[in-house]
Amino acid sequence: SPPLSVSPAADPAVISPQDPTLLIGSSLVATCTVSPDFPLKAEDLYWTLNGRRLPAASYAALGPSTLSVALARLNGSRQQSGDNLVCHSRDGGILAGSCLYVGLPPEKPVNITCWSKNMKDLTCKWAPGTEGETFLHTNYTLKYKRRWYGQDNTCQEYHTAGTYSCHIPKDLALFTPYEIWVEASNRLGVAVSDVVMLDILDVVTTDPPSDVHVSRVGDLEDQLSVRWSSPPALKDFLFQAKYQIQYRVEDSSEWKVVDDVGNQTSCRLAGLRPGTVYFVQVRCNPFSIYGSKKAGIWSDWSNPTAASTPRSERVAGGCDPKGGEQNTTLRRELKQFFGWVKKHAYGCSNLGIKLYDQWRVWLQKSHKTRNQV
Amino acid sequence: GDSWGIFTFLCAALCNLPALPALNCSEELGAGQSIQQTYDLTRYLEHQLRTLAGTYLNYLGPPFNEPDFNPPRLARAERVPSATVDLDLWRGLTDNARLAANYRAYSRLLCYLRVLDGQVGTAELRHRLAHFCASLQGLVLSIGGVMSSLGYPLPAGPAAPPAPPGAPAAPNDFLKKMDDFWLLKELQTWLWRSAKDFNRLKKKVPPAVVTLRLEARGF
Repeated sequence: SPPLSVSPAADPAVISPQDPTLLIGSSLVATCTVSPDFPLKAEDLYWTLNGRRLPAASYAALGPSTLSVALARLNGSRQQSGDNLVCHSRDGGILAGSCLYVGLPPEKPVNITCWSKNMKDLTCKWAPGTEGETFLHTNYTLKYKRRWYGQDNTCQEYHTAGTYSCHIPKDLALFTPYEIWVEASNRLGVAVSDVVMLDILDVVTTDPPSDVHVSRVGDLEDQLSVRWSSPPALKDFLFQAKYQIQYRVEDSSEWKVVDDVGNQTSCRLAGLRPGTVYFVQVRCNPFSIYGSKKAGIWSDWSNPTAASTPRSERVAGGCDPKGGEQNTTLRRELKQFFGWVKKHAYGCSNLGIKLYDQWRVWLQKSHKTRNQV
Repeated sequence: GDSWGIFTFLCAALCNLPALPALNCSEELGAGQSIQQTYDLTRYLEHQLRTLAGTYLNYLGPPFNEPDFNPPRLARAERVPSATVDLDLWRGLTDNARLAANYRAYSRLLCYLRVLDGQVGTAELRHRLAHFCASLQGLVLSIGGVMSSLGYPLPAGPAAPPAPPGAPAAPNDFLKKMDDFWLLKELQTWLWRSAKDFNRLKKKVPPAVVTLRLEARGF
């Protein structure tokens, strides 16, 4: 239908109420009053809600140029920008519109969890309280204050670890209890979560250990030695790290965890299968920061490092003789090749069987992601 | 997808620095290449806008996202630079005038889009809008570069003027939705027509680099 031509300065009509906010289930009577400049009468008008024509039975003429519509038991808004209630002239042209915001007040946000990376900052995440939807745009504000010190602070950097998260980058005191809470607000009201109390030192996490090396133990077929460095960020603080190792066979997705590593930076894995490639990861928990004896939060796992156990020349009762033999022959040849390359080609000193193993790790990872997509 | 666009934008931004006369990279780049780049950016923005507009209009809800939606253009909405000029009139303009009109229009459209970005509800929309604004900023710079390489002066005044005085924000939410609809619509038309403009300009400008400036001046 052809649009109205550009109109004079006044709007063609006025709707009341304009952009109201309503609770789900409530009813509404809206009126459309045509401006005196326009030669339109009440019977020339009709209403639509979100593009759908409303039944004439719900209309009533309240004056020569005023038409009302009755809406009962409203559902939650179809979109967060508001339902579009529009007053039209007979030919379909738009005279005026009003956005209806129909929904529910927010519920208390829940499950606030926080962590500090190397005692420098604090990131918190939470979940919205509502099981269903509020249908209205809800704003979340994370607030925090030092207990007994009065002043509320507001977190500014949102969505750093998912939608419902916030990051406080600085000016945090240690050995100090903080009160943290989240306020949810929308057009219909505000809801405040329960207050969480914590000390930064209670929720410290760190980077994964660096320089993870996995190597053979001489000719021992069933062992591998793992070495790593403690994460550099925490070396200034008095703490004891505890570590965990997990490892798996190349073709398996089942990780074995070594829990009792303590605070050493090396460990020997035993009881392994000969002639097998293993992937190994290490993670760190900054335990007992400043002597507090409390556990921190485990870091992410380090990137997987690969190594293989040796296999002696004589045939051990292996499960996959064909596959295993092919592997061994390939590896032997590769080693010989790399040795030759080192001698005869300059600048290739990084080539080695270790690099080949890292490539195997990468191959498996990218194969997995390709399969997931 | 995204990385190609950002790459193009960065190229456009880096290679078109009209503020540094000593380091006029566009001269080395050649007007021809500059125009090609601008054309490519325009097409990329057209593509991006399709997705952005689709998402945004769904956010506004029906009837805004209906294909035949054609609301009245109220007088207040005329502050958005309109692309619907008489086509013969448009073609009759000089290259300089056409380029200047494009430069000014996109600068203002960028302003309005940035305001939109500040108000929009969902994170996805904010992300898309931010990305689009960055690309559009690249287009403005790119057009500036083309004008420099052809020896035309850039339109006077700030590249991105503040909201023009006497144009108040929409008095109610529904009228604001209409403003947003027209902003996207005009943007669509501008980009569609700019692509044609740059395509035609490409054919006019010879590939030679050195004598380019002199030839352009005599145009």
